[in-house]
Amino acid sequence: MRRTPIDEGMSLFVGTVSPDGLPAGCRAIAATSPDQLKTITIYLPMATSRDVVSNIASTKKLAIVGTYPPDHSAMQLKGTTTAVRLATDDEREFLTYRVERFGDILHAIGIPRRVAKAINHWPAFAVEMKVEEVFDQTPGPNAGVSLR
Amino acid sequence: MTLQLSEISRCFQGVVPSIVVTSDANGTPNVTFVSQVHQVDDKHVALSCQFFNKTRRNLDENPRAWIEVHDPVTLQTFRMRIRFLRSEKSGPLFDSMSVRIQAIASHTGMCGVFRLIAADVFAVESVEKNEGFLTEVMPDDSEQVSVEGLRHEVRGLQYVSESINRAACLEALLEAVLESLDKYFGFEHTMILLQDESTKRLVTMASRGYGVSGVGAEVAIGDGLIGMVARTRHLLRISGLHLELTYGRTIRREHGGMTPEVPLPGLPDAQSALVIPLVVGDRLLGVIAAEDRDPMRFGEWDETYLHVIANQIALGVDRMLERDDDEPGVIAPTPAAVAVVPNRRTFTFYANDDCVFVDDEYLIRNVPGRILWKLLREFRSDGRTEFSNRELRVDESLGLPAIKDNLESRLILLRKRLTEKCPEVRIVPTARGRFALQVDGGVELVER
Repeated sequence: MRRTPIDEGMSLFVGTVSPDGLPAGCRAIAATSPDQLKTITIYLPMATSRDVVSNIASTKKLAIVGTYPPDHSAMQLKGTTTAVRLATDDEREFLTYRVERFGDILHAIGIPRRVAKAINHWPAFAVEMKVEEVFDQTPGPNAGVSLR
Repeated sequence: MTLQLSEISRCFQGVVPSIVVTSDANGTPNVTFVSQVHQVDDKHVALSCQFFNKTRRNLDENPRAWIEVHDPVTLQTFRMRIRFLRSEKSGPLFDSMSVRIQAIASHTGMCGVFRLIAADVFAVESVEKNEGFLTEVMPDDSEQVSVEGLRHEVRGLQYVSESINRAACLEALLEAVLESLDKYFGFEHTMILLQDESTKRLVTMASRGYGVSGVGAEVAIGDGLIGMVARTRHLLRISGLHLELTYGRTIRREHGGMTPEVPLPGLPDAQSALVIPLVVGDRLLGVIAAEDRDPMRFGEWDETYLHVIANQIALGVDRMLERDDDEPGVIAPTPAAVAVVPNRRTFTFYANDDCVFVDDEYLIRNVPGRILWKLLREFRSDGRTEFSNRELRVDESLGLPAIKDNLESRLILLRKRLTEKCPEVRIVPTARGRFALQVDGGVELVER
Protein backbone atom coordinates (compact mmCIF):
# COMPACT_ATOMS: atom_id res chain seq x y z
CA MET A 1 0.00 0.00 0.00
CA ARG A 2 1.30 3.45 -0.92
CA ARG A 3 2.44 5.56 2.02
CA THR A 4 1.11 9.09 2.25
CA PRO A 5 2.28 12.14 4.20
CA ILE A 6 -0.32 11.50 6.94
CA ASP A 7 1.23 8.12 7.89
CA GLU A 8 3.38 7.64 11.00
CA GLY A 9 7.14 7.76 10.60
CA MET A 10 7.14 9.96 7.51
CA SER A 11 9.79 12.62 7.05
CA LEU A 12 7.79 15.73 6.13
CA PHE A 13 8.85 18.88 4.37
CA VAL A 14 6.93 21.82 2.90
CA GLY A 15 7.81 24.29 0.16
CA THR A 16 6.49 27.75 -0.62
CA VAL A 17 7.38 30.72 -2.81
CA SER A 18 7.38 34.42 -2.00
CA PRO A 19 5.46 36.84 -4.25
CA ASP A 20 8.76 37.82 -5.91
CA GLY A 21 9.69 34.22 -6.70
CA LEU A 22 12.02 33.27 -3.84
CA PRO A 23 11.38 29.67 -2.70
CA ALA A 24 11.54 28.70 0.99
CA GLY A 25 10.78 25.58 2.97
CA CYS A 26 10.82 23.99 6.40
CA ARG A 27 10.48 20.62 8.08
CA ALA A 28 6.98 19.68 9.23
CA ILE A 29 6.07 17.59 12.25
CA ALA A 30 2.92 15.71 11.29
CA ALA A 31 -0.09 15.79 9.02
CA THR A 32 -3.70 14.63 9.24
CA SER A 33 -6.55 14.39 6.76
CA PRO A 34 -10.23 13.83 7.58
CA ASP A 35 -11.26 13.08 3.99
CA GLN A 36 -8.70 10.81 2.27
CA LEU A 37 -6.38 13.61 1.25
CA LYS A 38 -8.96 15.94 -0.23
CA THR A 39 -7.81 18.33 2.44
CA ILE A 40 -4.86 18.09 4.79
CA THR A 41 -3.68 19.80 7.96
CA ILE A 42 0.09 20.02 8.33
CA TYR A 43 1.89 21.14 11.48
CA LEU A 44 4.94 23.41 11.22
CA PRO A 45 7.23 24.32 14.12
CA MET A 46 6.84 28.00 14.85
CA ALA A 47 10.59 28.33 15.46
CA THR A 48 11.59 27.44 11.90
CA SER A 49 8.59 28.30 9.71
CA ARG A 50 8.64 32.09 9.70
CA ASP A 51 9.40 32.50 5.96
CA VAL A 52 7.03 29.68 4.99
CA VAL A 53 4.09 31.12 6.89
CA SER A 54 4.84 34.56 5.52
CA ASN A 55 4.83 33.20 1.95
CA ILE A 56 1.59 31.30 2.53
CA ALA A 57 -0.08 34.48 3.74
CA SER A 58 0.78 36.12 0.42
CA THR A 59 0.57 33.37 -2.20
CA LYS A 60 -1.53 30.61 -0.54
CA LYS A 61 0.45 28.01 -2.54
CA LEU A 62 2.00 25.07 -0.70
CA ALA A 63 3.79 21.81 -1.58
CA ILE A 64 4.10 18.98 0.95
CA VAL A 65 6.47 16.01 0.57
CA GLY A 66 6.34 12.95 2.78
CA THR A 67 9.21 10.44 2.56
CA TYR A 68 9.55 7.13 4.39
CA PRO A 69 13.25 7.03 5.31
CA PRO A 70 13.85 3.25 5.25
CA ASP A 71 12.84 2.82 1.60
CA HIS A 72 12.78 6.41 0.24
CA SER A 73 9.18 6.00 -0.97
CA ALA A 74 7.67 9.46 -1.22
CA MET A 75 4.57 11.40 -2.21
CA GLN A 76 4.10 15.10 -2.94
CA LEU A 77 0.85 17.01 -2.48
CA LYS A 78 0.27 20.46 -3.93
CA GLY A 79 -2.59 22.81 -3.29
CA THR A 80 -3.95 26.03 -1.88
CA THR A 81 -3.92 26.85 1.79
CA THR A 82 -7.27 27.69 3.34
CA ALA A 83 -6.27 28.56 6.90
CA VAL A 84 -3.28 29.07 9.16
CA ARG A 85 -3.77 28.93 12.93
CA LEU A 86 -1.85 28.16 16.08
CA ALA A 87 -2.00 24.49 16.99
CA THR A 88 -4.06 23.95 20.13
CA ASP A 89 -2.96 22.28 23.34
CA ASP A 90 -5.23 19.36 22.39
CA GLU A 91 -3.08 18.77 19.31
CA ARG A 92 0.22 18.90 21.19
CA GLU A 93 -0.04 15.31 22.42
CA PHE A 94 -0.58 14.10 18.83
CA LEU A 95 2.48 16.01 17.63
CA THR A 96 4.67 14.64 20.43
CA TYR A 97 3.45 11.12 19.63
CA ARG A 98 4.32 11.55 15.95
CA VAL A 99 7.78 12.89 16.76
CA GLU A 100 8.40 9.79 18.87
CA ARG A 101 7.24 7.48 16.08
CA PHE A 102 9.51 9.35 13.66
CA GLY A 103 12.32 8.76 16.16
CA ASP A 104 11.54 5.01 16.04
CA ILE A 105 11.91 4.99 12.26
CA LEU A 106 15.17 6.95 12.38
CA HIS A 107 16.44 4.62 15.09
CA ALA A 108 15.73 1.65 12.81
CA ILE A 109 18.11 3.09 10.20
CA GLY A 110 20.83 3.91 12.71
CA ILE A 111 20.05 7.47 13.82
CA PRO A 112 19.75 7.89 17.60
CA ARG A 113 16.24 8.52 18.96
CA ARG A 114 17.45 11.66 20.73
CA VAL A 115 17.88 13.33 17.34
CA ALA A 116 14.16 13.25 16.57
CA LYS A 117 13.34 14.19 20.16
CA ALA A 118 15.54 17.26 19.82
CA ILE A 119 13.63 18.59 16.80
CA ASN A 120 11.78 21.69 17.94
CA HIS A 121 8.08 20.94 17.46
CA TRP A 122 6.19 23.16 19.88
CA PRO A 123 4.58 25.68 19.63
CA ALA A 124 3.40 24.95 16.11
CA PHE A 125 1.28 26.35 13.31
CA ALA A 126 -1.52 24.24 11.84
CA VAL A 127 -1.79 24.93 8.11
CA GLU A 128 -4.88 23.66 6.31
CA MET A 129 -4.63 22.99 2.58
CA LYS A 130 -7.04 21.94 -0.15
CA VAL A 131 -5.15 19.21 -2.06
CA GLU A 132 -5.25 19.84 -5.80
CA GLU A 133 -2.49 17.59 -7.11
CA VAL A 134 -0.85 14.37 -5.89
CA PHE A 135 2.43 13.06 -7.30
CA ASP A 136 4.57 9.97 -6.86
CA GLN A 137 7.90 11.31 -5.60
CA THR A 138 9.78 8.04 -5.08
CA PRO A 139 13.22 8.30 -6.75
CA GLY A 140 13.18 6.55 -10.11
CA PRO A 141 11.49 6.70 -13.47
CA ASN A 142 8.03 7.30 -11.94
CA ALA A 143 9.07 10.33 -9.92
CA GLY A 144 6.71 13.15 -10.81
CA VAL A 145 3.91 10.93 -12.15
CA SER A 146 0.51 12.34 -11.23
CA LEU A 147 -1.52 10.09 -8.93
CA ARG A 148 -4.65 12.25 -8.93
CA MET B 1 24.24 35.81 9.42
CA THR B 2 25.67 34.50 6.16
CA LEU B 3 28.19 31.70 6.66
CA GLN B 4 30.96 30.50 4.36
CA LEU B 5 30.44 27.14 2.67
CA SER B 6 33.74 25.98 4.14
CA GLU B 7 32.18 26.34 7.60
CA ILE B 8 29.56 23.72 6.79
CA SER B 9 31.63 21.41 4.57
CA ARG B 10 30.47 18.32 6.51
CA CYS B 11 26.97 18.92 5.15
CA PHE B 12 28.18 18.03 1.67
CA GLN B 13 29.31 14.48 2.44
CA GLY B 14 25.93 13.04 1.48
CA VAL B 15 25.22 11.32 4.80
CA VAL B 16 21.79 12.93 5.21
CA PRO B 17 19.69 13.78 2.13
CA SER B 18 19.19 17.49 1.44
CA ILE B 19 15.96 19.23 0.48
CA VAL B 20 15.55 21.52 -2.52
CA VAL B 21 12.61 23.89 -3.07
CA THR B 22 12.01 25.44 -6.49
CA SER B 23 9.04 27.06 -8.20
CA ASP B 24 7.61 27.31 -11.68
CA ALA B 25 6.76 30.53 -13.49
CA ASN B 26 3.28 30.54 -11.91
CA GLY B 27 4.67 30.45 -8.39
CA THR B 28 3.76 26.82 -7.65
CA PRO B 29 6.42 25.39 -5.34
CA ASN B 30 8.07 21.99 -5.70
CA VAL B 31 9.98 20.09 -3.02
CA THR B 32 12.44 17.28 -3.64
CA PHE B 33 15.14 15.39 -1.76
CA VAL B 34 18.61 15.15 -3.30
CA SER B 35 21.28 12.71 -2.28
CA GLN B 36 24.26 14.81 -3.23
CA VAL B 37 24.96 18.52 -2.88
CA HIS B 38 28.50 19.03 -4.10
CA GLN B 39 30.59 21.96 -2.91
CA VAL B 40 32.31 23.35 -6.01
CA ASP B 41 34.12 26.22 -4.26
CA ASP B 42 33.28 28.74 -1.55
CA LYS B 43 30.63 30.45 -3.69
CA HIS B 44 29.16 27.62 -5.73
CA VAL B 45 27.44 24.27 -5.23
CA ALA B 46 26.29 21.65 -7.71
CA LEU B 47 23.27 19.36 -7.53
CA SER B 48 23.10 15.96 -9.17
CA CYS B 49 20.44 15.93 -11.86
CA GLN B 50 19.17 12.34 -12.10
CA PHE B 51 15.43 11.93 -11.90
CA PHE B 52 14.03 15.24 -10.76
CA ASN B 53 12.65 16.55 -14.02
CA LYS B 54 10.19 18.93 -12.39
CA THR B 55 13.02 20.64 -10.53
CA ARG B 56 14.95 20.91 -13.78
CA ARG B 57 11.98 22.46 -15.64
CA ASN B 58 11.34 24.86 -12.77
CA LEU B 59 14.92 26.11 -12.87
CA ASP B 60 14.51 27.03 -16.52
CA GLU B 61 11.48 29.12 -15.56
CA ASN B 62 12.80 30.51 -12.26
CA PRO B 63 16.51 30.10 -11.48
CA ARG B 64 16.08 30.89 -7.76
CA ALA B 65 16.10 27.87 -5.42
CA TRP B 66 16.40 27.10 -1.72
CA ILE B 67 18.25 24.21 -0.08
CA GLU B 68 18.34 22.84 3.44
CA VAL B 69 21.36 20.70 4.32
CA HIS B 70 22.17 18.73 7.48
CA ASP B 71 25.37 18.55 9.45
CA PRO B 72 25.71 14.75 9.83
CA VAL B 73 27.39 15.05 13.24
CA THR B 74 25.29 17.64 15.07
CA LEU B 75 22.15 17.25 12.88
CA GLN B 76 21.91 21.05 12.79
CA THR B 77 20.41 22.28 9.52
CA PHE B 78 21.56 25.16 7.31
CA ARG B 79 19.57 27.00 4.67
CA MET B 80 20.98 28.29 1.43
CA ARG B 81 19.51 30.61 -1.14
CA ILE B 82 20.97 29.68 -4.51
CA ARG B 83 20.67 30.76 -8.14
CA PHE B 84 20.94 28.33 -11.06
CA LEU B 85 23.81 29.11 -13.45
CA ARG B 86 24.39 26.19 -15.82
CA SER B 87 24.27 22.44 -16.39
CA GLU B 88 27.53 20.58 -16.96
CA LYS B 89 27.29 17.29 -18.82
CA SER B 90 31.01 16.58 -19.03
CA GLY B 91 34.26 17.74 -17.49
CA PRO B 92 35.96 17.27 -14.11
CA LEU B 93 32.97 18.32 -11.98
CA PHE B 94 30.59 16.04 -13.86
CA ASP B 95 33.07 13.16 -13.68
CA SER B 96 33.66 13.48 -9.95
CA MET B 97 29.91 13.56 -9.20
CA SER B 98 29.15 10.82 -11.72
CA VAL B 99 31.57 8.22 -10.37
CA ARG B 100 29.72 8.03 -7.05
CA ILE B 101 26.37 7.55 -8.75
CA GLN B 102 27.74 5.03 -11.22
CA ALA B 103 29.36 3.04 -8.43
CA ILE B 104 26.15 2.82 -6.41
CA ALA B 105 24.19 2.04 -9.57
CA SER B 106 26.57 -0.79 -10.34
CA HIS B 107 26.19 -2.16 -6.82
CA THR B 108 22.41 -2.09 -7.05
CA GLY B 109 22.17 -3.51 -10.55
CA MET B 110 20.89 -0.21 -11.94
CA CYS B 111 23.64 0.64 -14.44
CA GLY B 112 22.31 2.88 -17.17
CA VAL B 113 19.09 3.62 -15.28
CA PHE B 114 20.46 5.29 -12.17
CA ARG B 115 22.90 7.77 -13.70
CA LEU B 116 23.95 11.37 -13.59
CA ILE B 117 22.32 13.38 -16.34
CA ALA B 118 24.02 16.65 -15.45
CA ALA B 119 25.80 18.51 -12.69
CA ASP B 120 23.66 21.61 -12.13
CA VAL B 121 25.81 24.48 -10.90
CA PHE B 122 24.41 27.21 -8.65
CA ALA B 123 25.75 30.47 -7.23
CA VAL B 124 25.28 30.56 -3.46
CA GLU B 125 23.66 33.84 -2.41
CA SER B 126 23.37 33.21 1.32
CA VAL B 127 23.99 30.48 3.92
CA GLU B 128 22.28 30.65 7.30
CA LYS B 129 22.05 28.40 10.30
CA ASN B 130 18.45 27.25 10.83
CA GLU B 131 18.14 28.79 14.28
CA GLY B 132 15.67 27.05 16.58
CA PHE B 133 15.62 23.77 14.64
CA LEU B 134 16.95 21.74 17.56
CA THR B 135 16.07 22.15 21.22
CA GLU B 136 19.24 20.37 22.28
CA VAL B 137 22.74 20.83 20.89
CA MET B 138 24.14 17.53 19.67
CA PRO B 139 27.73 16.88 20.73
CA ASP B 140 30.34 17.44 18.07
CA ASP B 141 32.91 14.80 18.92
CA SER B 142 34.33 14.54 15.45
CA GLU B 143 38.09 14.50 15.25
CA GLN B 144 39.78 17.82 14.71
CA VAL B 145 43.06 18.13 12.88
CA SER B 146 45.69 18.79 15.53
CA VAL B 147 49.37 19.58 15.25
CA GLU B 148 50.16 16.32 17.03
CA GLY B 149 47.87 14.48 14.64
CA LEU B 150 49.62 16.11 11.72
CA ARG B 151 53.02 15.07 13.06
CA HIS B 152 51.77 11.52 13.46
CA GLU B 153 50.43 11.44 9.92
CA VAL B 154 53.57 12.94 8.41
CA ARG B 155 55.55 10.28 10.24
CA GLY B 156 53.13 7.75 8.82
CA LEU B 157 53.71 9.10 5.35
CA GLN B 158 57.45 8.82 5.88
CA TYR B 159 57.06 5.25 7.17
CA VAL B 160 54.92 4.18 4.23
CA SER B 161 57.34 5.78 1.82
CA GLU B 162 60.27 3.96 3.40
CA SER B 163 58.38 0.67 3.43
CA ILE B 164 57.71 0.97 -0.26
CA ASN B 165 61.29 1.93 -0.99
CA ARG B 166 62.81 -0.90 1.02
CA ALA B 167 60.42 -3.68 0.06
CA ALA B 168 62.33 -6.56 -1.47
CA CYS B 169 59.33 -7.96 -3.26
CA LEU B 170 55.79 -7.09 -4.20
CA GLU B 171 54.29 -9.21 -1.45
CA ALA B 172 56.32 -7.45 1.24
CA LEU B 173 55.45 -4.07 -0.23
CA LEU B 174 51.70 -4.66 -0.14
CA GLU B 175 51.74 -6.09 3.39
CA ALA B 176 53.87 -3.22 4.70
CA VAL B 177 51.63 -0.60 3.18
CA LEU B 178 48.43 -2.01 4.68
CA GLU B 179 50.10 -2.46 8.06
CA SER B 180 51.30 1.14 8.14
CA LEU B 181 47.92 2.50 7.03
CA ASP B 182 46.42 0.75 10.04
CA LYS B 183 49.18 1.83 12.44
CA TYR B 184 49.55 5.47 11.45
CA PHE B 185 46.24 6.40 9.87
CA GLY B 186 43.82 4.11 11.66
CA PHE B 187 42.58 2.55 8.42
CA GLU B 188 41.63 -0.82 9.89
CA HIS B 189 39.89 -2.38 6.90
CA THR B 190 41.86 -2.12 3.68
CA MET B 191 42.62 -4.09 0.55
CA ILE B 192 44.73 -3.76 -2.57
CA LEU B 193 43.65 -5.20 -5.89
CA LEU B 194 45.86 -5.35 -8.97
CA GLN B 195 44.71 -5.54 -12.54
CA ASP B 196 45.22 -8.79 -14.42
CA GLU B 197 46.08 -7.61 -17.91
CA SER B 198 45.01 -10.86 -19.53
CA THR B 199 41.50 -10.98 -18.03
CA LYS B 200 41.05 -7.23 -17.52
CA ARG B 201 39.82 -7.96 -14.01
CA LEU B 202 41.04 -6.75 -10.63
CA VAL B 203 42.39 -9.43 -8.31
CA THR B 204 42.69 -8.99 -4.55
CA MET B 205 46.37 -9.31 -3.68
CA ALA B 206 46.38 -8.22 -0.03
CA SER B 207 43.87 -7.28 2.63
CA ARG B 208 43.88 -6.34 6.28
CA GLY B 209 41.20 -6.16 8.94
CA TYR B 210 38.82 -8.72 7.50
CA GLY B 211 38.11 -12.12 8.98
CA VAL B 212 38.81 -13.83 5.66
CA SER B 213 41.68 -12.54 3.54
CA GLY B 214 39.76 -12.72 0.29
CA VAL B 215 43.05 -12.98 -1.61
CA GLY B 216 42.16 -14.07 -5.12
CA ALA B 217 38.73 -12.44 -5.09
CA GLU B 218 38.07 -10.75 -8.42
CA VAL B 219 36.18 -7.65 -9.48
CA ALA B 220 35.32 -6.82 -13.06
CA ILE B 221 36.33 -3.38 -14.29
CA GLY B 222 33.23 -1.20 -13.88
CA ASP B 223 31.63 -3.46 -11.30
CA GLY B 224 30.69 -1.90 -7.95
CA LEU B 225 32.59 0.79 -6.09
CA ILE B 226 36.02 -0.72 -6.77
CA GLY B 227 35.39 -1.63 -10.38
CA MET B 228 33.94 1.79 -11.12
CA VAL B 229 36.99 3.54 -9.68
CA ALA B 230 39.17 1.36 -11.89
CA ARG B 231 37.11 2.20 -14.96
CA THR B 232 36.90 5.94 -14.36
CA ARG B 233 40.27 6.30 -12.59
CA HIS B 234 38.59 8.77 -10.28
CA LEU B 235 38.92 8.67 -6.52
CA LEU B 236 35.68 7.81 -4.70
CA ARG B 237 34.82 8.86 -1.14
CA ILE B 238 31.36 7.92 0.07
CA SER B 239 29.77 8.47 3.47
CA GLY B 240 26.53 6.92 4.71
CA LEU B 241 26.83 3.85 2.50
CA HIS B 242 25.02 1.27 4.56
CA LEU B 243 21.71 1.04 2.73
CA GLU B 244 23.23 1.07 -0.75
CA LEU B 245 25.93 -1.48 0.06
CA THR B 246 23.57 -3.81 1.86
CA TYR B 247 21.25 -3.76 -1.10
CA GLY B 248 24.08 -4.26 -3.59
CA ARG B 249 25.54 -7.18 -1.66
CA THR B 250 22.13 -8.80 -1.43
CA ILE B 251 21.85 -8.66 -5.20
CA ARG B 252 25.35 -10.04 -5.57
CA ARG B 253 24.50 -12.92 -3.23
CA GLU B 254 21.15 -13.64 -4.86
CA HIS B 255 22.55 -13.70 -8.36
CA GLY B 256 25.66 -15.71 -7.42
CA GLY B 257 28.18 -16.45 -10.18
CA MET B 258 27.99 -19.73 -12.07
CA THR B 259 31.72 -20.15 -11.85
CA PRO B 260 33.53 -20.62 -8.53
CA GLU B 261 34.24 -17.35 -6.86
CA VAL B 262 36.26 -16.16 -3.89
CA PRO B 263 34.12 -13.70 -1.95
CA LEU B 264 35.45 -10.16 -1.97
CA PRO B 265 36.46 -9.13 1.54
CA GLY B 266 34.26 -6.39 2.88
CA LEU B 267 32.43 -5.16 5.94
CA PRO B 268 28.76 -6.15 5.68
CA ASP B 269 27.86 -3.04 7.65
CA ALA B 270 30.27 -0.55 6.05
CA GLN B 271 29.05 3.02 6.38
CA SER B 272 31.82 4.74 4.48
CA ALA B 273 34.36 3.92 1.80
CA LEU B 274 37.42 5.48 0.24
CA VAL B 275 38.59 3.92 -3.02
CA ILE B 276 41.59 5.24 -4.97
CA PRO B 277 42.99 4.07 -8.32
CA LEU B 278 46.65 3.05 -8.54
CA VAL B 279 47.85 4.70 -11.72
CA VAL B 280 51.28 5.30 -13.25
CA GLY B 281 51.15 7.68 -16.19
CA ASP B 282 48.04 6.57 -18.01
CA ARG B 283 48.32 2.92 -16.94
CA LEU B 284 45.95 1.49 -14.36
CA LEU B 285 47.76 -0.93 -12.04
CA GLY B 286 45.01 -1.52 -9.51
CA VAL B 287 42.95 -0.03 -6.72
CA ILE B 288 43.37 0.53 -2.99
CA ALA B 289 40.18 0.53 -0.93
CA ALA B 290 39.40 1.34 2.71
CA GLU B 291 36.09 0.84 4.52
CA ASP B 292 34.77 1.73 7.94
CA ARG B 293 31.65 1.36 10.07
CA ASP B 294 31.75 5.06 10.95
CA PRO B 295 29.79 7.01 8.32
CA MET B 296 32.09 10.01 8.83
CA ARG B 297 35.37 8.08 8.95
CA PHE B 298 36.93 9.44 5.77
CA GLY B 299 37.23 13.18 5.34
CA GLU B 300 39.05 15.36 2.85
CA TRP B 301 42.14 15.00 4.99
CA ASP B 302 42.20 11.21 4.69
CA GLU B 303 41.47 11.49 0.99
CA THR B 304 44.49 13.71 0.47
CA TYR B 305 46.84 11.49 2.46
CA LEU B 306 45.67 8.26 0.91
CA HIS B 307 45.95 9.76 -2.53
CA VAL B 308 49.62 10.60 -1.92
CA ILE B 309 50.20 7.09 -0.58
CA ALA B 310 48.34 5.53 -3.52
CA ASN B 311 50.68 7.29 -5.93
CA GLN B 312 53.67 5.92 -4.05
CA ILE B 313 52.20 2.43 -3.99
CA ALA B 314 51.59 2.60 -7.74
CA LEU B 315 55.19 3.59 -8.41
CA GLY B 316 56.45 0.86 -6.06
CA VAL B 317 54.25 -1.83 -7.61
CA ASP B 318 55.28 -0.76 -11.09
CA ARG B 319 58.93 -0.97 -10.11
CA MET B 320 58.44 -4.48 -8.68
CA LEU B 321 56.58 -5.74 -11.72
CA GLU B 322 59.27 -4.51 -14.08
CA ARG B 323 62.21 -6.08 -12.28
CA ASP B 324 64.37 -8.34 -14.31
CA ASP B 325 64.10 -11.93 -13.14
CA ASP B 326 67.84 -12.41 -13.01
CA GLU B 327 68.62 -9.20 -11.19
CA PRO B 328 70.51 -10.05 -8.04
CA GLY B 329 68.67 -9.02 -4.94
CA VAL B 330 67.51 -10.01 -1.54
CA ILE B 331 64.71 -12.50 -1.40
CA ALA B 332 61.91 -11.71 0.97
CA PRO B 333 61.76 -13.98 3.96
CA THR B 334 59.22 -16.68 3.39
CA PRO B 335 56.85 -17.27 6.27
CA ALA B 336 57.73 -20.38 8.16
CA ALA B 337 55.81 -23.33 6.90
CA VAL B 338 52.85 -24.14 9.06
CA ALA B 339 53.24 -27.51 10.68
CA VAL B 340 50.71 -29.72 8.99
CA VAL B 341 49.92 -33.36 9.14
CA PRO B 342 50.78 -34.62 5.68
CA ASN B 343 47.62 -35.49 3.83
CA ARG B 344 47.11 -36.82 0.39
CA ARG B 345 45.46 -34.00 -1.54
CA THR B 346 43.58 -34.33 -4.79
CA PHE B 347 43.94 -31.52 -7.32
CA THR B 348 41.41 -31.33 -10.15
CA PHE B 349 41.87 -29.14 -13.21
CA TYR B 350 38.64 -28.16 -14.97
CA ALA B 351 39.72 -27.23 -18.49
CA ASN B 352 36.41 -25.66 -19.50
CA ASP B 353 36.37 -23.30 -16.52
CA ASP B 354 40.16 -22.92 -16.49
CA CYS B 355 40.31 -23.50 -12.74
CA VAL B 356 41.80 -25.82 -10.14
CA PHE B 357 40.02 -27.38 -7.19
CA VAL B 358 41.69 -29.07 -4.25
CA ASP B 359 39.62 -31.83 -2.61
CA ASP B 360 36.44 -30.42 -4.15
CA GLU B 361 37.12 -26.89 -2.93
CA TYR B 362 37.83 -24.07 -5.35
CA LEU B 363 41.48 -23.05 -5.25
CA ILE B 364 42.48 -20.80 -8.16
CA ARG B 365 41.85 -20.13 -11.84
CA ASN B 366 43.14 -18.55 -15.03
CA VAL B 367 46.91 -18.04 -15.41
CA PRO B 368 47.84 -18.84 -11.78
CA GLY B 369 45.73 -22.01 -12.06
CA ARG B 370 47.58 -23.05 -15.22
CA ILE B 371 50.92 -22.34 -13.56
CA LEU B 372 50.01 -24.53 -10.60
CA TRP B 373 48.87 -27.31 -12.88
CA LYS B 374 52.16 -27.19 -14.81
CA LEU B 375 54.20 -27.33 -11.59
CA LEU B 376 52.21 -30.20 -10.16
CA ARG B 377 52.35 -32.22 -13.37
CA GLU B 378 56.11 -31.86 -13.66
CA PHE B 379 56.49 -32.69 -9.99
CA ARG B 380 54.46 -35.86 -10.46
CA SER B 381 56.04 -36.96 -13.74
CA ASP B 382 59.69 -35.95 -13.26
CA GLY B 383 59.99 -35.18 -9.58
CA ARG B 384 60.93 -31.57 -10.37
CA THR B 385 60.85 -29.09 -7.51
CA GLU B 386 62.99 -26.22 -8.84
CA PHE B 387 61.50 -23.75 -11.32
CA SER B 388 62.27 -20.33 -12.77
CA ASN B 389 60.15 -17.35 -13.74
CA ARG B 390 61.84 -17.34 -17.11
CA GLU B 391 60.63 -20.82 -18.07
CA LEU B 392 57.12 -19.82 -17.13
CA ARG B 393 57.35 -16.77 -19.35
CA VAL B 394 58.37 -18.79 -22.41
CA ASP B 395 55.74 -21.49 -21.88
CA GLU B 396 53.01 -20.42 -24.32
CA SER B 397 50.52 -22.87 -22.82
CA LEU B 398 50.26 -20.66 -19.73
CA GLY B 399 48.93 -17.71 -21.73
CA LEU B 400 51.03 -15.02 -20.10
CA PRO B 401 50.89 -11.73 -22.00
CA ALA B 402 54.07 -10.88 -23.92
CA ILE B 403 54.46 -7.60 -22.05
CA LYS B 404 53.30 -6.56 -18.58
CA ASP B 405 52.73 -10.16 -17.62
CA ASN B 406 52.42 -9.46 -13.86
CA LEU B 407 54.04 -12.82 -13.22
CA GLU B 408 55.19 -11.90 -9.76
CA SER B 409 51.70 -10.86 -8.65
CA ARG B 410 50.28 -14.09 -10.08
CA LEU B 411 52.82 -16.14 -8.10
CA ILE B 412 52.00 -14.18 -4.93
CA LEU B 413 48.34 -14.92 -5.48
CA LEU B 414 49.04 -18.60 -6.03
CA ARG B 415 51.29 -18.77 -2.97
CA LYS B 416 48.69 -17.13 -0.73
CA ARG B 417 45.83 -19.26 -1.99
CA LEU B 418 47.87 -22.41 -1.34
CA THR B 419 48.74 -21.20 2.15
CA GLU B 420 45.05 -20.71 2.90
CA LYS B 421 43.58 -23.75 1.22
CA CYS B 422 46.35 -26.34 0.95
CA PRO B 423 49.34 -25.71 3.23
CA GLU B 424 50.81 -29.12 2.30
CA VAL B 425 51.84 -27.62 -1.05
CA ARG B 426 54.00 -24.51 -0.99
CA ILE B 427 55.78 -22.25 -3.45
CA VAL B 428 58.95 -20.89 -1.87
CA PRO B 429 61.23 -18.26 -3.46
CA THR B 430 64.81 -19.47 -3.59
CA ALA B 431 66.56 -16.70 -5.54
CA ARG B 432 65.58 -13.78 -7.71
CA GLY B 433 63.39 -15.27 -10.40
CA ARG B 434 63.55 -18.80 -9.00
CA PHE B 435 61.35 -20.78 -6.65
CA ALA B 436 60.79 -24.26 -5.29
CA LEU B 437 57.68 -26.38 -5.08
CA GLN B 438 57.47 -28.07 -1.68
CA VAL B 439 55.00 -30.87 -1.17
CA ASP B 440 54.23 -32.68 2.08
CA GLY B 441 52.30 -35.92 1.69
CA GLY B 442 51.09 -37.07 -1.65
CA VAL B 443 49.21 -35.36 -4.47
CA GLU B 444 46.77 -36.85 -6.92
CA LEU B 445 46.04 -35.06 -10.17
CA VAL B 446 42.76 -35.30 -12.05
CA GLU B 447 41.98 -33.48 -15.30
CA ARG B 448 38.38 -32.94 -16.45
